[in-house]
Amino acid sequence: MTLEARSISVDYGKRRVLHGVTFMARPGAVTAIVGPNGSGKSTLLGAVSGDLPHEGTVSLGGRDVARMPIWQVAAQRAVLPQASRLAFDFTVLEVVRLGLQSGRSGDRADIPMRALARVGLAHYAARTFQELSGGEAQRVMLARVLAQVWEPVDQGEARWLLLDEPVSSLDIAHQLQVMQIARDFASAGGGVVAVMHDLNLTALFADEVTVLSEGEIIAAGTPGAVMTDAILSRAYGCALKVSTPPARNIPYILPHAAAS
Amino acid sequence: MVAETQSFTAPRDRHLFARQLHLWLAAFLIFCAALSLQFGAADVRLSALLGKLVTGEPLSQMERIVLFDIRLPRLAMGGLVGAALAVSGATMQGLFRNPLADPGIVGVGAGAGLGAILAIVLGSMLPLGLTQLIGAQLVPVAAFLGGWGSTLLLYHVSTRGGRTSVATMLLAGIALGALAGAVSGILVYIADDQQLRDLTFWGLGSLAGASWGKILTAGPLIVISIAAALCLGRGLNGLALGEATAAHMGIAVQRMKSVAILSVAGATGAAVAISGGIGFVGIVVPHLLRLACGPDHRTLLVNAGLLGASLLILADVIARMVISPAELPIGIVTAVLGAPVFLWILLRRRGVVDL
Repeated sequence: MTLEARSISVDYGKRRVLHGVTFMARPGAVTAIVGPNGSGKSTLLGAVSGDLPHEGTVSLGGRDVARMPIWQVAAQRAVLPQASRLAFDFTVLEVVRLGLQSGRSGDRADIPMRALARVGLAHYAARTFQELSGGEAQRVMLARVLAQVWEPVDQGEARWLLLDEPVSSLDIAHQLQVMQIARDFASAGGGVVAVMHDLNLTALFADEVTVLSEGEIIAAGTPGAVMTDAILSRAYGCALKVSTPPARNIPYILPHAAAS
Repeated sequence: MVAETQSFTAPRDRHLFARQLHLWLAAFLIFCAALSLQFGAADVRLSALLGKLVTGEPLSQMERIVLFDIRLPRLAMGGLVGAALAVSGATMQGLFRNPLADPGIVGVGAGAGLGAILAIVLGSMLPLGLTQLIGAQLVPVAAFLGGWGSTLLLYHVSTRGGRTSVATMLLAGIALGALAGAVSGILVYIADDQQLRDLTFWGLGSLAGASWGKILTAGPLIVISIAAALCLGRGLNGLALGEATAAHMGIAVQRMKSVAILSVAGATGAAVAISGGIGFVGIVVPHLLRLACGPDHRTLLVNAGLLGASLLILADVIARMVISPAELPIGIVTAVLGAPVFLWILLRRRGVVDL
């Protein structure tokens, strides 16, 4: 169940923002898409998730997503948008239950509460979604997405989580919590694609990193191979210093203090 | 995480309450129907008729006419129109993701009004054969065609490349409403006194013209439209999170929008055609139900149909009773009762209503 996006181009009006990029992700791994603002990260995810009209094909396990029935796609992959607006006073639990609507029926009634517990918000179940803070709302939406693809592997096929900046409005503890959830989903055999801003968090949790710059992929591979001074400095257009402490082979990235 | 091993109990379930409400509202509908058969200008009482049924005494000619030709069709029409308006209101609010949306947004009201005015003012100019063919049904037929036609026009204008933009539909609806208003204004200007009186009463709405003929014409369309809308609960719930997210959850968004718009045009168009302009049912009924048991459209649509039918039947009883033996236009009753409720809802929710 590899996720493949081949020769993806996206235009906003007359401006082309993605130039025929080919992107791949495998189940069992967290694949991060990084790059500066406006490099096309979210656009790539939007094309992969089918939100944006695009050239090129997206396939799941070799099958063209555009030709699959919409309910089948929904049973196979869930998408967490950057921000969510909700109409009407649904409770937190009702919002998470919406995620259950797709996919097959059966004894799944307890999944929403377990998904809420997974993001640490089970005690908020009866609250109105509208009264949550931005970070809490984002975690509830993650719970909804988790409920949609609760088992990372279903009937021998990997399911997918597509996350657009899943930690953007979270404090550091919840950033770690959410990334750990993504990590666990991948470890259990599912696939995760996440658009990320935080390079250190990416180095810590991603198995594969794709670096975008000006609508093109300039590097893809393991964090150790991709997150180098040269590649990152080129992508972000500023001097960045990557270090790797010998104890754990995980790079961390520091900006070169230009002032000093 | 410890959370995984614990068992969590879900909080009190609004959904369960909403489903129990189906039964309570069905009982309320029966109660309102009984009231509607009991009271009227003629001194014929349902209780007395039931007594005759028990003793086997035959009904008099007058009692038969009052029951079967006056009160029963009126009851059926009130129920159909009330259910149509309330279900259409709930559908529109779900589609536009806005609790203040009204079936009128899709142009039904403006179009139907224009159709009715055209029929009332210009109807006498039609070739005699055509007038005789359509006869007394000219105004309802014209109102229905106007409402249905303007909705289709709006739908066409706001659909590009197979995607319907509800925002475009809203804006185009305002423009179309202004245009229909201007044309209506010209017709009002040239209308004679009797026509003006007919127009005014049509605009206020009434169930007084109820007949089995009207019910057999408009009823099937209303029933089919409501049935179609009742299938949209799951999709409208998903749409609360936006069109993109709804699609990610496996909802065929465009098909749902088409069904919603066509069902609202059908139900509201037919309802307005046979009863004129009846306001507030479409907004107040879904709103009350959302306050009582939450916004889940799977139950909301059914409850709205039941409560809408009950309340319109009740409003009609009031319209018949307050100045008996004359009667008020029912639109006045729904506005007098509905507007304060609507204001109360707005005040209660001040600061939360977000357009």
